[in-house]
Amino acid sequence: MHLGRREPSNMKRAIPARWLAHACRVLALGVIGVAPALADVVGKDGKIHVTYWEKWVSFEGIAMQATIDAFNASQDKIVVDYYPTSQVDRKVLVATAGGDPPDVAGLWVQNIATFADANALMPLDDFIREDGMTSEEWLARYYPAFAHICTYRGQVFAGISTPAVIALHWNKTLFREAGLDPEKPPRTVAELNEFARKLTKRDPKTGRLVQMGFLPQEPGWWPWIFARWFGGELFDGERVTIGTDPRNLEALRWVASYTHEYGRDDVRTFASGFSGHALNAQSGFMNGKVAMVFQGVWFDNYIRQYKPGLDYGVGPWPEAVPGVSDFAMTEADVLVIPRGAKNPRAAWEFIKFANSHNPQARTREELSGIELTCFLQAKSSPLRAWSPFFGKNHPHPYIGIFRELSASPHAVSVPQMGIWQEYNREFMLVFEQTRLALAKPEEAIAYCQKRMSASWARYQKSLIRHGQVAASTDAREKTEDAR
Amino acid sequence: MTPAEKKNVFTGLAFTSLWIVGLCVFTAYPVIASLYYSFCDYSILKSAVWIGGENYRELVTDDLFWKSLGNTLLYAALSVPLGTAVALALAMLLNCDVRGRSFFRVVFYLPSIVPVVASSMLWLWIFNGEYGLLNGLISPVLGWFGLTPPAWFTDPTWAKPALVLMSLWGVGNAMVIYLAGLQNVPKELYEAAAIDGASAWRRFWHVTLPGIAPVVYFNVVMGLIGSLQIFAQAYIISDAANGGTGTHDGAPARSLLFYTMHLFTTAFHDLRMGYASAMAYVLFIVIAALTWLATRLSRRHVE
Amino acid sequence: MIYGLLGGAACVFLVPFAWLVITSLKPIEQSMTLPPSWIPRAYYADLGAGKTEVTLDYRTRQSGAVVERVAGENAGAMLFLADDQLAQLTDADEPLRVLQRVEPGWWRATEKLPRDAPAGTPPRWRFVPDSDVESRVKFRWENYPDALGSLDGGSSDPASLTSKHRVSFWRFTANSLIVCVLGVIGTVFSNAIVAYGFARIRWRGRDAFFAVTLATMMVPFPVLMVPLYGVFRELNMIGTLMPLWVPAFFGSAFNIFLMRQFFRAIPEELSEAARIDGCSEWTIFWRIILPLSKPVLATAGVLHFLHAWNDFLGPLLYLTRKETFPLSLALQSFQAQNGGVQWHHLMAASTVTIIPVVVLFFFAQKTFVQGIATTGSKS
Repeated sequence: MHLGRREPSNMKRAIPARWLAHACRVLALGVIGVAPALADVVGKDGKIHVTYWEKWVSFEGIAMQATIDAFNASQDKIVVDYYPTSQVDRKVLVATAGGDPPDVAGLWVQNIATFADANALMPLDDFIREDGMTSEEWLARYYPAFAHICTYRGQVFAGISTPAVIALHWNKTLFREAGLDPEKPPRTVAELNEFARKLTKRDPKTGRLVQMGFLPQEPGWWPWIFARWFGGELFDGERVTIGTDPRNLEALRWVASYTHEYGRDDVRTFASGFSGHALNAQSGFMNGKVAMVFQGVWFDNYIRQYKPGLDYGVGPWPEAVPGVSDFAMTEADVLVIPRGAKNPRAAWEFIKFANSHNPQARTREELSGIELTCFLQAKSSPLRAWSPFFGKNHPHPYIGIFRELSASPHAVSVPQMGIWQEYNREFMLVFEQTRLALAKPEEAIAYCQKRMSASWARYQKSLIRHGQVAASTDAREKTEDAR
Repeated sequence: MTPAEKKNVFTGLAFTSLWIVGLCVFTAYPVIASLYYSFCDYSILKSAVWIGGENYRELVTDDLFWKSLGNTLLYAALSVPLGTAVALALAMLLNCDVRGRSFFRVVFYLPSIVPVVASSMLWLWIFNGEYGLLNGLISPVLGWFGLTPPAWFTDPTWAKPALVLMSLWGVGNAMVIYLAGLQNVPKELYEAAAIDGASAWRRFWHVTLPGIAPVVYFNVVMGLIGSLQIFAQAYIISDAANGGTGTHDGAPARSLLFYTMHLFTTAFHDLRMGYASAMAYVLFIVIAALTWLATRLSRRHVE
Repeated sequence: MIYGLLGGAACVFLVPFAWLVITSLKPIEQSMTLPPSWIPRAYYADLGAGKTEVTLDYRTRQSGAVVERVAGENAGAMLFLADDQLAQLTDADEPLRVLQRVEPGWWRATEKLPRDAPAGTPPRWRFVPDSDVESRVKFRWENYPDALGSLDGGSSDPASLTSKHRVSFWRFTANSLIVCVLGVIGTVFSNAIVAYGFARIRWRGRDAFFAVTLATMMVPFPVLMVPLYGVFRELNMIGTLMPLWVPAFFGSAFNIFLMRQFFRAIPEELSEAARIDGCSEWTIFWRIILPLSKPVLATAGVLHFLHAWNDFLGPLLYLTRKETFPLSLALQSFQAQNGGVQWHHLMAASTVTIIPVVVLFFFAQKTFVQGIATTGSKS
């Protein structure tokens, strides 16, 4: 019994509760004859067992398992146990609140700020320091875009499990049919619009759309990136700026131009056959219904699965801001240690292993750490240095482009903001209202600005109330207001 | 109190003791704690800080709150009467002396036990705007009038009606209860009415309906409580039909943002447990008020 | 006319269900064809190595490999080979490039054999003409074992994840059964006892207490969600199945209401006679009331079973580890993260999941309907 750590005043309340729990256990044991399994810190084999919850179930999970096997074989003290977990972000939160979190959790990049602000994550800086490095030295291994993803409020909170870079994918066969050069993707937004027009086909009898060159809502996972692509700022670290930066409006007007040009209802009927199925056999791109999409490095895996032989190309984002020809969206799946993890030190050892590589690897067998994961997942590596084998024999036919974009100074990822999920939802609404012509872009943006400013103020107030951040930001805002 | 009365109180309490514990631990405490949290700034992992009525003040000015409440009330206003009508109609058909009644009963009941993930996915596909089974059937008919079928779950106007239609597939539960109620209406009453020369409609209105009034009341209240808490279907469908963005914002254009969904997002995605608790309490009040209303309206017929 | 209406309604109710079962018997790519097809088919093509089953995208189901010729006049031609045939062909002179099997339906080019094409060249594929493809009706019953085998992780390849972390279908079923059976036992007994206290004993405060009990039915679950989590955390039950069945042992307003209505309908004379004979209330309850109440006990039990079997939110809130998941939650693993759904497996597993409840309903429907009939109309 753990009564020792309880306050005496709680004893009276605690004892019946524990008795009840005990009674239930006895009942459960009596009926089913199995004890609830609880992980020990050191297992029967004398090793530390690190529990690792990850969202991947398919080939990505198999790839991570290979890296785990390599880690387990590389030393004899720690064993990592992989548990595929759906809705991993919420499960981790529930388990962390319940006092029994995993040692390592595989989250999405947008979870970091929220989880960190909620006190759900352990910063990794102490571990890095114990390893004789400064945080800056540790982060130097990544391309800047990915180093940025790992940090929040000046602390390192995450390692990368697999990075993602999003780029333009175009269907070369459809380009040929439309009389376009299949090796020349659009270079500017104007060209994108022009090509899209040429690539759009309607049924001559009914007038229904049968093919489109480009559709802003396909796949529709990150419409906010359009604002960033047009040079707009959504959050400047202090304030919500969707309504104050005119380039955001420009981006949404561009989105609206597609609705205007192709017809809202026509597009909706056309898209309902494939929307929500970007990565399977119903995908608009793979079925030749949409000729150009912005998709991630993972897309090739699905093309191989569902449309092997699809003749497609990958290129950078067309220029939306004059002179920026290397814009890219970077994302990552990340490894974090939830607060209250039982084996944080061992968890760090694994994260460290999974974020390193063998720079000399010349064969598949010599690949190690993140390069092994990324090779098996056919994704690019977030590290600046690539081993000879990884670079030359990578299974993704266009890996070079993804590497260039990873290194781009114009690579952009999700704004680091504790209420990004809410902001994202509001932006989705702006996007939807714009493309469905339910509101003028400027009205939708103004509404979003109003709501998010209020939410951000409320969030800041809450952080101050819990003594988490506060004073500094608060003071700065006051001085700015004073000016 | 006489000793006999005392003994009775003791026996009564002894019999209900399990429930007293259950009520306290699994209902009363959570209800009170939730009320407390609704006055707090609270996320699971940080201590709750008392902020008075701020959550409630914010609710009043929160457009999303009103939007989700409006959506939910509209859904309930559509699905409860329609569901009642369909369930009652099916039950009355089955109540005629038909052969294979148990077969039909199983057929009508079957959908209500399909796991919600599966049924949602299934209907998502049936309601697909371009290739869905439903539009394939109705578009030739609509074509006669020069109309095109809607895109259902991706059209803000039609998403809720589609969800209502989908809910009709699951009326089996209510149907079984109605059927049971109908079988309890004394046959003599119908015979008497038939002798009086009452029309089928009058028989329904004056014999059947009063006979099953308590069942109607029970089903309507249960249906109301259920539909005001609609969650899983909308949670799965809204996301899957509109790009799988995982934002759970009731897309398209928040037309499927229902109250419980918004509450769940607020609590478990945004970690605003205090605000979510305040929302939960408002829902509580709405449900209590509507139930009270239903009770008032039905008092003439029930008992 | 009644039969016409009934038949029509039955069709409307059955069509989606038929779709569910049919989808469960199709290969994945046929479950997502546009427009939908009603008959599961299999396609066969003669690929030089005998008749091989192919999909319309030309992927084999058998274990083996897809091979692409990379030189000579047949460059770009694709062959579908079983493992042993592959061994023969790799010895042949013609350079081959092997697209290795990673998991069923998923192929990846490997670096095993020399490639003459420069890195970055997308693979070239040749499609077999439609006229060479033979189609036959085929129900894929193997979807069922595949689906059940892959419930734990979305992949049906046994080599995909180390076996020690695989959770078998039977484990999920066992979890579901534990929750349901214990819950049913708890529901039947606790509610009967409590309802007796409300229905057959007159005591001061009873009606007020019953009013409170009824009022709790109106409490929406969201109100309880957050604090309940705290309660189970205090009881050290998070991550175990206990939060899903323990509450059933402490009564529920709905079932108390249901049983009270039934008990009240039993003539009071029976109890009076027993009291005069000196029976205790417990004896009256146990010996007289309970045996008369089988229909309502069955109703409450069946209702709870159905509810527990399909419950999604409860497991979602309290369970974190896969090996504790009941079937309803395990079903969710077919919903992959990025919108790719294994429709055929989802539908197969759904079919399996609903079979027990369908069977239960078939057998119990009479008691069930009787039980409701007695309660519903006498409130």
